[in-house]
Amino acid sequence: MRRGGQVWAWFWMILGILYFFLPLLATFLFSLRAKLGVLSFQAYEDVFTDPDFIYNFGYSVFWGVLTIIVGILLFVPTAYLIRLRLPQFRSSVEFITLLPFVIPAIVFVFGLVRTFSQPPFLIVDSPALLVAAYTVLAMPYMYRAVDTGLRSIDVRTLTEAAQSLGAGWGTILFRVILPNIRVAILSGAFLSFAIVIGELILAQYLVKPAFAPYLAYLIQQKAYEPAAMAVISFALTWAFLGIIQFVGRGGAQAQIGGGR
Amino acid sequence: MTHLALSNISKRFGDNSVVSDFNLDVEKGEFVSFLGPSGCGKTTTLRMVAGFEIPTTGKVILDDADLTNRAPNQRNVGMVFQAYALFPNMTVAQNIGFGLQIRRESAQAIKERVGEMLSLIHLEDRGGSYPYQLSGGQQQRVALARALANRPQVLLLDEPLSALDAKIRVSLRAEIRAIQKKLGITAIYVTHDQEEALSISDRIVVMYDGRIEQVGTPFEIYNFPTTAFVASFVGTLNTTEAEVIDPKAQTLRLEGQQLQAASGLEGKRIGDKTRIAIRPERFNFVSVERKDNVLDCTIENITFLGSVVRVQVALGSQRFFMDTFNNPFLELPRIGSKTQITCSREAVLVLSH
Repeated sequence: MRRGGQVWAWFWMILGILYFFLPLLATFLFSLRAKLGVLSFQAYEDVFTDPDFIYNFGYSVFWGVLTIIVGILLFVPTAYLIRLRLPQFRSSVEFITLLPFVIPAIVFVFGLVRTFSQPPFLIVDSPALLVAAYTVLAMPYMYRAVDTGLRSIDVRTLTEAAQSLGAGWGTILFRVILPNIRVAILSGAFLSFAIVIGELILAQYLVKPAFAPYLAYLIQQKAYEPAAMAVISFALTWAFLGIIQFVGRGGAQAQIGGGR
Repeated sequence: MTHLALSNISKRFGDNSVVSDFNLDVEKGEFVSFLGPSGCGKTTTLRMVAGFEIPTTGKVILDDADLTNRAPNQRNVGMVFQAYALFPNMTVAQNIGFGLQIRRESAQAIKERVGEMLSLIHLEDRGGSYPYQLSGGQQQRVALARALANRPQVLLLDEPLSALDAKIRVSLRAEIRAIQKKLGITAIYVTHDQEEALSISDRIVVMYDGRIEQVGTPFEIYNFPTTAFVASFVGTLNTTEAEVIDPKAQTLRLEGQQLQAASGLEGKRIGDKTRIAIRPERFNFVSVERKDNVLDCTIENITFLGSVVRVQVALGSQRFFMDTFNNPFLELPRIGSKTQITCSREAVLVLSH
């Protein structure tokens, strides 16, 4: 009985791995066929030497990082204060954080263009609007990640302990709360970054030279380079996940230990 | 001289009155425990001293300074929490030095003070450990050291031993008391554990339903409870109602038998009913020692509790417990047998309410 169970466990695991890796392997092999008759990294070379790739990717990375910073500054204090002082508003705020899932991006971007392309808010060309819009799109991921992180620590008691030792709000937030939810913040940051890198509609309608419109253009124009880009995206994703795992290891232990 | 004064403190949350009419003066270096059941307002009162709650009425005065509306980080008050509340991202040394860093003390001064505190709690070699690497007892000792490192004017302890197992609780409470005495710091200790309060305190404030029931030394609280609540909450107690038959002579009638009290019947009238209490250990079998009161009763049950044997006797319709030290060479009466038990007149406590 137990042996039969193990066989099935292996079967499902291998099936899952094949389901995930076969298309990736096929994409990878396809990306190596840019040169006729031989396997080569020509498509990768073409991607990395394309000045448009560097520019568009760099643009998205820059504004993505800024989005993360704005998101952290906005959502960490909000989630913290709601958990500490205004728990009665938690469900309302959670509902608000889900709105970007409910409102289609195309509706959102038309709303932005209509509102901010006429006085008194004539900022439709400003990258600040793009960051603000990205922050809204990333809100469900960032807010919920931070909130989950706060749930794993005893926010009230840690805050009161720090207060009784003379700490003010800034010290409590940056030296006590933030370091203890850094894994959650990293997860939120990574998801926000992934949203920004892959976001097409906002960038296209606000006419910004972001990475996703470039990728869409590339798919229409070329064959092997988009496959190479897909593999590069996966590699970047895994690298980020690895970093989160590595950075998060000590923190998770500390949080579990702290709750003993 | 009064070090900490809580005068006319009350606290309401909406319509719910949590603490009312709370008055207490604490001397410098005194160890005072707030003792009471859950929801009696003891933690809320402590939190008002810490500044986490603002009193609805009344004042918190510390060394003549009015702290009532001062923010928690503006009071020089140390606090130890039930859940330890050590910062998980910091080492033991960093936890202890946190408050000193906030005060911008020099690195050398912080290092020296942290060393002093570590040796005070006997964890000299654990400065570099993280909280999760310590046992519960060690974590709470670090929390104590952290609260003391800032040299607070008052140390507040909110059920600090509740999360620990029984053996560590006993050793750690002795350690807390020893450290408090050594430093001469004023301490307020919240607990619902009467044994803990009795063993550690200079004075105990027994609270019930947001009010002070009785304030006294552990000896006074245990031996001379003034209210039925204190009598029933602290230790095991036989309480019952007796009829006053001679207030001047302090004589009562219980189940048709005469009972002599030492005091407490002043102002009562003949025929009045009054509540009395007698500790189980104040009863004896007649053969052991002759006392003021001799009561006829029937043995109903005998329970072996280790060092003590608890005998349940029936006195008419009343049931009383009597505790006697376990002596393997002493023959106990049989269940159902008739016997006589005695107690001194001082053992009969007349309760105010």
